[in-house]
Amino acid sequence: MIGAYILLVEWTRALSSNVAHAAMAALIVGGVALMLSGFGWPADRLGLGRSRLAFRILGGLALAVVLLLPAAARASAAPILPAFLAVPAIVVSVGEEIAFRGALYAALEDLGGAPLAIIGSTALWTAAHALSHPPEFLFAVAAAGLLLALWRWACKDLVAPVIGHSIADLAL
Amino acid sequence: MRRVWLLATAATVYLLAAWMVAPGFYDGFAPQQPYNWVCPPIHVTGNQPPKSGHLDIKVIGGVSDANSAYTDDAQVVIGFLPGAFDATGKTVIAVDIKPVSPCPKPPGLTFATNAYQITADAPLVKKATLLMRYSDIVSAPSTVYRADSADGPWTSIGALSESQPFTIDTATDKLGYFAAGYPTSSVSHSSANTWLLPLAIALLIVAVLVAGVPLAIMRRRRPAVEGEPDESEP
Repeated sequence: MIGAYILLVEWTRALSSNVAHAAMAALIVGGVALMLSGFGWPADRLGLGRSRLAFRILGGLALAVVLLLPAAARASAAPILPAFLAVPAIVVSVGEEIAFRGALYAALEDLGGAPLAIIGSTALWTAAHALSHPPEFLFAVAAAGLLLALWRWACKDLVAPVIGHSIADLAL
Repeated sequence: MRRVWLLATAATVYLLAAWMVAPGFYDGFAPQQPYNWVCPPIHVTGNQPPKSGHLDIKVIGGVSDANSAYTDDAQVVIGFLPGAFDATGKTVIAVDIKPVSPCPKPPGLTFATNAYQITADAPLVKKATLLMRYSDIVSAPSTVYRADSADGPWTSIGALSESQPFTIDTATDKLGYFAAGYPTSSVSHSSANTWLLPLAIALLIVAVLVAGVPLAIMRRRRPAVEGEPDESEP
């Protein structure tokens, strides 16, 4: 149920982003709709919390380094995010993390444990990006999803993926 | 320890996967297809030549029909209202869009798109709307320039609000040569990006190391926090 909702939101967002004058609104509304998937879950089940905060923030910076390293090494060919998309980028990043590594991960973990949560959230994350990314990007998208899901599992933390994902989206 | 190894392996897999495709970690912001350049910037690989476009606009009752001409790669779209052309003596008006080669390099201007020549075999009498797509690896153009010749002079005809990411819109009352760009003297995000991103990553690495080492030492010295099993951390 959560998976279907998230997939529907992501695909709707991707399709409506291409409509003239609708990109910014589509991204913000889509991001907020993704955040809503975390509604009703206790914060700690989503991986959110203030314990070990320094470690979580540092983890987020480390994830950002990994996510951005291939682009930084080829900076002259790296895309530039238009300034007006900065706020939507943050909203979408936070929304996606709450949806995929937060609510969906927690629901799948309840169903079949950590392996199902990691594999399932990564598979749905990849499928959700199928409409917004060229096919050749999807392996990299899946690898990023797997990395973030593994962090969620290994550290029981969603703060670092939120920070890492937001920085990566803002930088590119 | 197993978790650390799994994370390290996943990070390595991501780095390899991301290295195999063009840089970028997008959330649907990027254009679906790469820009086709006449003169590609350095580091652009696999560039395809840009396409031309042709449109025959019907003249019905002496009035030219509403229609849009576009290049086959959709990098330029120009829209005409009904009666946009002086259709005297015409039954069809031909509109052509062609990428200009060699690339014009007017002094003081930097073009973020190809230059295109747009022609019609009837005079334009109403403003046409022009949309130009630009690449996501160059700075966003601030305006559209128009000229009567590829050699210039190039005049800014302004830009409307950005209707879609990586596109620039304007209106024009004359056809001719068009390119989107910005004055060279203005700040170039593209050149800044070439050193800003590596610098930011280098600073992040230093920050992670400088803050991470003492944090790790502190956590090793401190007994496990109550209610937080050690295995929950890498």
